[in-house]
Amino acid sequence: MTDGPLIVQSDKTILLEVDHPQATEARHAIAAFAELERAPEHMHSYRLTPLGLWNARAAGLDAEQVLDTLLQYSRFPVPHALLIDVEETMSRYGRLRLEKDPIHGLVMRTDDYPVLEEVMHAKKIEPLLGPRIDASTVVVHSSSRGALKQLLLKIGWPAEDLAGYVDGAPHPIQLKTDDWHLRPYQQLAVENFWAGGSGVVVLPCGAGKTLVGAAAMATSQTTTLILVTNTVSARQWKDELLRRTSLTDAEVGEYSGAVKEVRPVTIATYQMLTMKRGGLFPHLELLDANDWGLIVYDEVHLLPAPVFRMTADLQARRRLGLTATLVREDGREGEVFSLIGPKRYDAPWKDIEAQGYIAPADCVEVRVDLPRDERMAYAMADDGDKYRLCATSETKTGVVEQLVRAHAGEQLLVIGQYIDQLDEIAERLDAPVIKGETSVKERQRLFDAFRRGEVSTLVVSKVANFSIDLPEASVAIQVSGSFGSRQEEAQRLGRLLRPKSDGRSARFYTLVARDTLDQDFAAKRQRFLAEQGYAYRILDAKDIAAAS
Amino acid sequence: MSSIRALTTELAARSDAALRELLSARPDLMAPPVPDFAALAARACGRASTSRALDGLSLPQLQVLEAVHLSTNEDQGLSASAVTLAPLLAGSTPTVLVGLLEGLSSLALLYPHPQSPPLPACGQSASHPAGAHPGNEHTGFLPVSSVRDVLGLHPAGLGRSFQVLARTQPAIGVRLQHTARTLRAAGYPLDDVEDPAAAAASLQSWLDRPDTLPALLRTAPPTTAEVLAKFSTGAMGSVPRAGRLVSPTSPTLTPVEWLLAHGLLVPLDDDHVELPYNVGLALRNGALIQDFAVEPPRADLPMTRESLRINAALGSIAELLRLLTELLALVQHQPVTTLRTGGVGVREIRRLSEGLRIDAQQVVLLLELAALARLLTLNVDTSRWEDTAAGWLASSREDQWLWLVAAWLRSDRAPSLAGVPGGRRAESSGTVGATGTPGMAGAVGAGPENGPGINALAAEAQRPDAPLLRRLTLAVMAELHGESVDSSSGGGEREPGRVPVLPPEAILARFRWRHPRLARRLHRLLPGFLHEAELLGLTGSGSLTRLGSAVAANNADQALALLRESLPQPLRTILLQADLTAVAPGYLHPELARELQLLADPEGQGPATIYRFSSATIRRALDEGRQAGGILAFLRSSSSTEVPQPLQYLIEDTARRYGQVRVGRAGAYLHSEDETALQELLSLPALASLRLLQLAPTVLISQASAVEVADALRSLGLAPALDAAGTGPDVVRIAADDPAAPTLELAGMVPDTVDVDAQLHVLRTRSGVPQPGGAEVAPQLGLELLAKAIRLKTPVRLSLVDAGGNAEQLVLVPLSVGGGRVRVFDPVRETERVISIHRVADVELAGDDGSSPPSSSATPSSPARITPAQNGNA
Repeated sequence: MTDGPLIVQSDKTILLEVDHPQATEARHAIAAFAELERAPEHMHSYRLTPLGLWNARAAGLDAEQVLDTLLQYSRFPVPHALLIDVEETMSRYGRLRLEKDPIHGLVMRTDDYPVLEEVMHAKKIEPLLGPRIDASTVVVHSSSRGALKQLLLKIGWPAEDLAGYVDGAPHPIQLKTDDWHLRPYQQLAVENFWAGGSGVVVLPCGAGKTLVGAAAMATSQTTTLILVTNTVSARQWKDELLRRTSLTDAEVGEYSGAVKEVRPVTIATYQMLTMKRGGLFPHLELLDANDWGLIVYDEVHLLPAPVFRMTADLQARRRLGLTATLVREDGREGEVFSLIGPKRYDAPWKDIEAQGYIAPADCVEVRVDLPRDERMAYAMADDGDKYRLCATSETKTGVVEQLVRAHAGEQLLVIGQYIDQLDEIAERLDAPVIKGETSVKERQRLFDAFRRGEVSTLVVSKVANFSIDLPEASVAIQVSGSFGSRQEEAQRLGRLLRPKSDGRSARFYTLVARDTLDQDFAAKRQRFLAEQGYAYRILDAKDIAAAS
Repeated sequence: MSSIRALTTELAARSDAALRELLSARPDLMAPPVPDFAALAARACGRASTSRALDGLSLPQLQVLEAVHLSTNEDQGLSASAVTLAPLLAGSTPTVLVGLLEGLSSLALLYPHPQSPPLPACGQSASHPAGAHPGNEHTGFLPVSSVRDVLGLHPAGLGRSFQVLARTQPAIGVRLQHTARTLRAAGYPLDDVEDPAAAAASLQSWLDRPDTLPALLRTAPPTTAEVLAKFSTGAMGSVPRAGRLVSPTSPTLTPVEWLLAHGLLVPLDDDHVELPYNVGLALRNGALIQDFAVEPPRADLPMTRESLRINAALGSIAELLRLLTELLALVQHQPVTTLRTGGVGVREIRRLSEGLRIDAQQVVLLLELAALARLLTLNVDTSRWEDTAAGWLASSREDQWLWLVAAWLRSDRAPSLAGVPGGRRAESSGTVGATGTPGMAGAVGAGPENGPGINALAAEAQRPDAPLLRRLTLAVMAELHGESVDSSSGGGEREPGRVPVLPPEAILARFRWRHPRLARRLHRLLPGFLHEAELLGLTGSGSLTRLGSAVAANNADQALALLRESLPQPLRTILLQADLTAVAPGYLHPELARELQLLADPEGQGPATIYRFSSATIRRALDEGRQAGGILAFLRSSSSTEVPQPLQYLIEDTARRYGQVRVGRAGAYLHSEDETALQELLSLPALASLRLLQLAPTVLISQASAVEVADALRSLGLAPALDAAGTGPDVVRIAADDPAAPTLELAGMVPDTVDVDAQLHVLRTRSGVPQPGGAEVAPQLGLELLAKAIRLKTPVRLSLVDAGGNAEQLVLVPLSVGGGRVRVFDPVRETERVISIHRVADVELAGDDGSSPPSSSATPSSPARITPAQNGNA
C-alpha cells in the first residue's frame, strides 16, 4: 500500500488529506473528475458523480487514467465496486456521437450497435430522430439537437456533440491589454473552452469571470449575446467590456426592463427572456434577432428552467457558461451538462487563493445574549415569529456599532433581512441603506460612491446579494439572514472575496442570538462555511465590547 | 470371491505408506476407527464411502472406472487390464491406463483380480513409489461391489442392453417383441420370437452384426444423425408420445419415429426413450469412452492487473471486518428478532441496513457470515439472534479474518442463497481492466439464482455439501491459477504485473473435469461462493489472491503473515475539523472508535470514517455520564490537531445547557417544611439502607419504595404521611453470556497424521490375529451376497427375525435390494414380498450355481458371516 494523501470511500467520496506532502499533486489529479464537496481545514472531500466522470471524459481523460490516479494516490485499497463503477460509467460517454453528415445533415452515430438500438427504442427519443441511414447511423432533426442530448443524458448515454457550430456574424473584438493582462488561469480557461467548443468555466467569486467572457468574445470575433441575472449585473458587464475591450458604447446594447437595444454585443437578463405575457415569451425573438456566434451565460447555476428550454434550441451556437459552482439547488446539474456543455475549466479555489488573486476570508460568529425581556418574548412567541424576534434583537444593533467602530476606516457592509432593523441600524450608524424600494439609479450612485470611498459604510438588504461588484468591501456584518441557503452564503462571501489592494483578509461577521433559532441557523452556516474552507471563529459579544 | 474378502487380503498386504495414502484420500474409512482390515475393506466397499470416493475422482479416472465396470464380470471372473481397456477408451494408451488403474486400486475402488498374471519384478520399480499395486499392463482389475450401484443405470452415458430393458418392465418387453415382429415383417433378418426375452436377444444379435447399423443408418431420414448425437452423453432422452406405435415401412417418418420403429430407441414410458447399450456402443465405434484425455482441457484465462487484485482483496477484507464490527455493535444494542416462519424479516433487515448504511442484500450476507462465524447466535428462549462475539473485538484484524475464513470453509450454509424478499440480488463482482472479458461483470454478477426467496438466517440455506464443494472449488481455482502463472512465466512473454482472472465458466469447466460427479451440485452454488470468496479477499478482481492460495493450501500462518504485512496498524489519532467533524483517516483502534461513536455520529462508508458532532450527540455522551471537560480532554489527547474553537463551543454550550433540568429515578420522596428534621433523618444510621439523598433543603429522595420509607420512619417513632404509592423498579433481565470461541485454524479435508498413525497401529497389531467378522463386515458381506444372488438369479437362504423376536429360515429368490429393503420372490408360495434388511440375520447362497469363480466355490454355501481371514486361508 502506498502512503498517499487520498482515502477513497465506498460511498463514492474521496478524502484528501490537505497537509500531506503529495496533497497538491493529488488535488490536481483528481480535480479533473471529482467535484470538491467540502473543504474543511484538514480533510477535503470530493465526490465522484457520473457527471463529473463524463466531464472528465469530455476533457479527454479515460477510465484507465482515473483508475490509475485513484490507485496511485490512495492510502488504502480502493473499493473494487467503485472502480468497476467508474469504468462502466466512463465508458458510456461518447458511445453515441452527434455529427454533421455532408448528405444527411445532423446525424447520431455509434460504434456500438446495441446502444443505438436501445436508445432508438426509448419512447421519448423516437420522435426526435429521422430515418435510419445504416446500422450505426440515424438522422437527427436539427431542431432536436438539444432535446436529444438532454434525454440521452437522462437515460445514461450522454452523447458527445461533434456537430460543430454556426460561425455567426463576424464582429471584431480585441482585448485592450495596455494596463492589465489575463491571469494565467483565465487564459487557460478560455483556451480550454474554445478547444472544447461549448461548455462551462468554473471560477470562484472574484476570480474574474467577466474577463474570461471578454476573452472568449475576443477569440470568437463574432456577435455575442450575454445573459446575466439582473440589471445591475448587466451594467457591470457593460462597464467591464467597455473598459477591457475595443468595444465602444455603440456596439454594446442592453436588453432589460428599462432599455431594449439589440447591438452586436447584447446583454440581456434572464428575467426578460423568461417574462411571459399572454402565454407567450415576447422577448424570445431576441435569441434570433442576430446571428449570434457566441452566447455567454453568467451564473449558470442560477439559470432558470425556461432558459434551459430556450437553450435547447440554440445548440448550433457556441455557448459559454460561467459560474462559481456547478451545484444547483434544484439539482439540474445534468441539464447544464447536456445543454450548455461539459465543464471545460475548474480552478481549485485554494490554488487561486494561494496565488493571491482572491483574498482569504475570516468568518467570525458573534454570539449575543438576548436580554431577559426579549428572551421571555421569544419563549412566548408563535413559531412563525420566533426567528424574526431573535434575529432582530436590540442588542445586535449595539454590537454592530462596536464592530463598525473597531473597523473604522475600512469599507464595510451591513447585511440584513429585516427592513426595520436595517433602517434602525442605518440611522444609528448614519449610513445610507439600500433596499428593494431604492431605485436603480440611486443604487448605482451609492455603489459608485462606496467604490470611490466617499461612503465607507453601506447597509444593504437582500438585493445586494447578487452580482454587484464592491471591490473594496473588506468587512461585512450580517445581522440577520434567511435560512441558510448555500447559494446565499456563497454570494454573500463572494462580495468580500474581491482582491484587496493591500492583501488584507476580508472579515465576515455574523451576529447570532444565543440559544435561539438564530443559533440553529448559524450552525448550518458554520458547517457550510467550514466545509468551504473558511476559517471560522466564535466570539462572545462581551469580548468585543471589552476589546473596543 | 467377494470384493470385501479380496480387498481384505489385498489391503493387509499393502505397505504402510500405501495405507497412509489410502486413509488420507478417503478419511471416512477411519471415522470412526476400524478394528481390522476386514472392517476396513467392508467400509471401503460400502455404498456411502464408495460414493464419496467416486465424487473425488477426476474425469479420466471416472471414465476408466466406468470402463472397468462395463467390461468386467465378477461372477464370471472377467477382469479388465490396461491392455483390454485401451481399445475401449478411444485416445488412451496402456501405459496411461496402468497409472490410472493403479491409482483407482490404491483408492480401493478396484482390486487386482486374484487370478491375474503375477507381477513382474520390474513392476516394483521406483516409477510407482506410491502405488499400492505396481502392476503391469496385463494385471486384471475388478471394481468393488458397490461401484455398480454408485455409478447408476447409465455408466459412461450408455444405456442398458435390450435384455436388461426387457426385464425391467413387462411393458418394455412387449414393446420389444412388437418391434422385432414388425421388423421381421418388414424384411429384416430377425428370428421369429415367442417371448420378450427372446425378442430382446434377437434384436441384440441382429444389431451386434457389424454391418447392420451402418446399413440401417444409410436408409434413415436426413437429420437422424443429429438426433442420435444428442444421446452421446446420456442414454435417456425425453420424447413426446414416446410410446406410439410406428411401422418401419411407413413412408413419412420423422427421425425419432424411424429410430423407434427400428428398435434403435426403446420407449421407457410415454415421455422417455433410452438408447440401448449396443446401439450406443456401435455409434461410438465400439469404444466405451470416445474422447478420453488424461490432461484437463486447457483454460484460456483473461488477465487483470496485480495492483487491482491486491487492491480489491485488501479493500474488501477491511470493509468486511469493519462492517461486521459495526453490525455486532448494532445487534448488541438491539438483538435481531426472527420471524415465526424462520429467518429474519424485512423490517429487521431494513433497520440494520439503515444503521450500517449499506443495502439490504449486503446486510443479509453480513448476517449470514456473522452467524456462521458464531458471532451471532440464536437465543432459543427469545428467538432472537444475539451478539455472542466475546473475543471478536479483542482480536487483531488478521485473526478476525482467519476466524471468518475458517468458519466459512467449515460452514454447511450457503450464505449467498439467502436474500431479501422482493429485493435485488447482491451487487456483482467484476473485473476492472481485464483483457478480453467484455461480458465478465455480467457473467459473475448472475449471483445466487434464488436470491430472494430464502430469508436471512433461515434454515433453507443449509447445504451439507457446501464445505466440501468450497474446498474443492478453491483447489480447482488454485490449480487453474498455478497453471496460468506457470505457462505465462515459462513462455517468457509474461506481462509484468498481470495475473489470471478466473471466470466462473472456467472454474466450472475445470471442476467438471476434476470432479465430474460433483459439478452439478456446484453449479448453483458457485456464483455465491465466488462472491463470498471475494468478500473474504480470497479473490480480488476475479483473480485468486496470495491469501486465497494460502487458504487453498491450508497454510494459515502464511495467510496471516501476508495479511499482517498489508493491513495498516490501527490508528490512535483523529483529525478534528471546524465543521464539527472528526476524521479517522483509516482503521481506528476499537477503543477509540467506541468512544467516538458515543460522542458523534459516523457518516459515510469506507476505510475512513467521518464522525459528526452535534448537540444531540454530545447530549448523548453527557447522558452516559461524560463531562464537558472529560470529552475535551479525550479529544485533545486523541487528536493530532488542535481542538477547533467551534467544536469546543459546541461541547461547552451543550454541556452548559445540559442538566438545567435534571431527571432521575427515586422510589420515594420526603418533603418537609422543617429543614432540620430532614437533616436529622439524613444523619440517622438506621436509615442508611434507604439511601437518602438531599435534592433541596426541604426535599429528600430515597431509592426505597414509599411504603418501605414510611415503615422505616414509623419504626423510629415518626408519623409520616403517605402522598401516593410508589412503583417498583423494572426487572432487568440479563442474558447469559455464551461467548463464541474462535477457531483460528484452517481445517483441511486431509485427516491429521496422528489419527492416521493411530489407525495404522490398530490395523497392524490386529491383523495378525484376525477377529471374526465384526458388526461392520457382516451386513456388507450379506448385501454383497444378496446382490450376487440377484445378478445370478439364484435362491438364498435368509435367516429372518420377525417383530416378535422369532427366527425363521426361508429359501427365497432376491429380486432387488435398495433403500434398506430387499424384494424377494418366494418360490414356495409363488408370491413376492419385501423384507427389511435389518430383519435379516444371515444370508447364505442356497445352492451352488457353478458360475462362481473358483476361489469362492471353495465355500459355495458358506454363510456370509464367515471371516475373511478364514476364507483367505482356504
